[in-house]
Amino acid sequence: MFKRILLANRGEIALRVQRTCRELGIETVAVYSEPDRDALHVRLADQAVCIGPGPAVESYLVIDKIIEAAKATGAEAVHPGYGFLSENSRFADACEAAGIAFIGPSGSAMRALGDKVSARKLMEEAGVPVVPGANDIDANDVETARREAQRIGFPLLVKAAAGGGGRGIRVVEKLEDLEGAMRASGAEAATSFGDATIFLERYVTMARHVEVQIMADSFGEVRAYGERECSVQRRHQKLVEEAPSVAVTPEIRKAMCDAAVAAAKSCGYRNAGTVEFLLDANGEFYFLEVNARLQVEHPVTELVYGVDLVKQQLQVAAGEHLPAYPYPGPIEPRGWAIECRINGEDPYTFMPSLGLVEHVQAPLGPGTRFDSMLFSGLDVPVFYDSLLGKLIVWAETRDLAIRRMRRALNDLVIAGVDTNIPFHLALFDNDDWQAGAIHTGWLESAFTMPSAEDDPREQTALIAAALAASMAAPAPAAGGGRSTGSGNAWAARGRERAMQGRASGGGQGWRRGTGS
Amino acid sequence: MATRHRFLVGGRERIVVLDEVDGVLTATIDDNAPIALAASATGVPGTVSLIIDGQPASAFVTRRAGGYEVVVGGRRFRLAPGGAAAGRRGHGGSKDREGEVTAPLAGVVVEIRVAVGDTVEAGQTLLVIEAMKMQNEIQCPLAGKITAIKCEAAGRVEQGAVIVEYEPIAE
Repeated sequence: MFKRILLANRGEIALRVQRTCRELGIETVAVYSEPDRDALHVRLADQAVCIGPGPAVESYLVIDKIIEAAKATGAEAVHPGYGFLSENSRFADACEAAGIAFIGPSGSAMRALGDKVSARKLMEEAGVPVVPGANDIDANDVETARREAQRIGFPLLVKAAAGGGGRGIRVVEKLEDLEGAMRASGAEAATSFGDATIFLERYVTMARHVEVQIMADSFGEVRAYGERECSVQRRHQKLVEEAPSVAVTPEIRKAMCDAAVAAAKSCGYRNAGTVEFLLDANGEFYFLEVNARLQVEHPVTELVYGVDLVKQQLQVAAGEHLPAYPYPGPIEPRGWAIECRINGEDPYTFMPSLGLVEHVQAPLGPGTRFDSMLFSGLDVPVFYDSLLGKLIVWAETRDLAIRRMRRALNDLVIAGVDTNIPFHLALFDNDDWQAGAIHTGWLESAFTMPSAEDDPREQTALIAAALAASMAAPAPAAGGGRSTGSGNAWAARGRERAMQGRASGGGQGWRRGTGS
Repeated sequence: MATRHRFLVGGRERIVVLDEVDGVLTATIDDNAPIALAASATGVPGTVSLIIDGQPASAFVTRRAGGYEVVVGGRRFRLAPGGAAAGRRGHGGSKDREGEVTAPLAGVVVEIRVAVGDTVEAGQTLLVIEAMKMQNEIQCPLAGKITAIKCEAAGRVEQGAVIVEYEPIAE
C-alpha cells in the first residue's frame, strides 16, 4: 500500500478521500488554491502545497503544478477525486510518465470512453445494449440520414460525434425536420469541436437515469456493486440519488451489472467507474456513457453494499487484487440509501449563494452521514461549484430512509448562505417522489416548490428576530426595534447573559478575508 | 412593557410586538392574535430556542446589515429593518434605488458590456457576474445613460455593492 498520496482536489471529496487515508495510516498531501488555504482537508493534511490563485485554470487544473507538488513531497500516488482533472487522460499519462500512480483508469481507457461514437462502437462490440442509432454520418449526407432515421424511429436526437456538455444536440420529432437539425448540429459541432461528424440516436423519453458502480483491478477482475437511481435532476445536474432503484428488479440488476462489467472489460478498465444507463418504462436499458472516476453519489453504494470504495480504489491502484466481498452470500444491496446534495443556492431562484458560513450543525443519529467541507467561519469561495455537502442516510427500507432523511434535513442547520434544504424538504413530501414514479424530466416538468410566501417558518423567524432585537437592547435602533417600555423580563435576562459574555450582539471574532 | 419590532421580509413590512402579561411572554405579529411563548437564547449570533403555543421550535439568528438573518427549518430569512430605518440599504431583497444597480450576489465580474456614456435600454445586460461556475447577467432596470462603473473586470464584488450608476432617461 502507498505511504503517501496527493489529493488533487478540494471540497468535500478531498476530505472524503483523506478520511480513508487517515484510517489506513496513509499520509496525505493537500494542494490548495489561495482561497482554500483554511479548508478542512488542508488543515488535516500531513503536508500542504499552494498551487496558485482561486480560478481553477490557474490552480486545480494545472497538470504541471500538481505533478511538481507530488514530486516535491514524495507522494507515490495521486487521487483526482471528481471534476477538475479526474477524467483528463493527459493528466493520467503525465502521472504515469512521472512514476506516480494515478488512482483511476489509464489514459488510454479514458480516451476510448471519452469519444461518444468510439464508446458506442466499443459497447456494441462488447454486447452492451446501446440506444438504437446510427454512427458516423456526414452532416451533409441527408440521404443516408433519412434512411437511418426511418429505421431508428422518431423522436430522435441528432448529436455531434465530438460533442459534450449538451452542445450540438437537436431533438427531431418528424422526418421533415431532420435536414435542418443536421445542418444546425453539424455547424455547431464544426465551430465548437472542429468536426462536423454527427450521429443519430433514438430519443428515449420518460426514462430513468440508472447507473452501475464498477471496481476493477489490474488483473482483469471487474466487480459491479449494483445500481444507483439518479433521475432527480435539474439542468442535467443530479440533486438526489438513491440505491437501489425502485425500478430495478433482481433480473434487471443482474443484466445491468453484467453489461457494466462487459463495458469495463471491453477497454481494459481499471479502478472505480460508473456505467450510466437509460432505463425506460418497459425495463429496457441502454448504455449512455462511462464516468471514469469516483462519483459524487458513491456513498449510497457504500452504504447498501457495506464497502469503502475509496479504500478499494487505493488497493487496486497499489497493484493489489480486488478485495474479497466481506460478507457471506451474493453481492446484493442491503437496505436503502438516499443522498441529498446540499447546494449553496437560493431554493426558489437557484441563484448561487455565497458568503461567510456563520454556523453549521450537522445531523447526527442512526444511519446518518454528512460528507461536507463546511465549518463555522468558512467563507465559501466563488470559484468552484455550489456543492456544500452531501447528506446521506441509510435505513432498512425506502420508506424508512425517506423518513430518516426528512428528520436529518430538519436537523441540519447552515447559517450564512442560502441552501437548497427547503427544496429537499418539499421533494420528500411529494407523492410522486415518495412513490418513486419519476424520470429524468420529472423534476423540471412536474414538480413545483411551495410558494416562498405564506411559509409557516416565517412566523418563527419573525419571533426569533424580535427576541434577538429585544435582547440586543439598549441599542434600540438595531433591527428597527423600538422599546415602548422598560423592557420585559426576557430582555433583561438576555442582557444579563450578554453581560456575562455569553451573547455578544456582534460577530464571533472572525472576519471575512480581504483577499481575492 | 411591550417592545415593538418592524421588519421588511420579502418586500413586506411585518410588525412583531413582544409583551409580557402575568409572567407570560407573548408575540403578536401584525394584526394576528397574540401567541404565548417561552424562549431562551445563546446570543446573537446564536440559537434562539422557542416554545410557540406549546410547540418547540428553534432558529439560528445572525445580525446582518442592520437587520437579521434567521435560519428556520433549513430556510434562511432576511429581515431588514422596517419603519424609519427601511429607507437605508438593507438585506431584505428590496429593489435598487433609481440610478444605481447593485450586485444581487457576490462573485467575480467576468465581463463588462457597457462603458460610461453609453445609453442603455431597460433590461439591457450591463455586465456578467460569475459565481460557482454560473454566469449571471446583470441588467439595467430602467433606460438610462451610464454615469459610472464601480467595479472592474476580473474583480470580486460583494452582494449589495453598487456596481453601476446611471442617469435614468424618461421614455
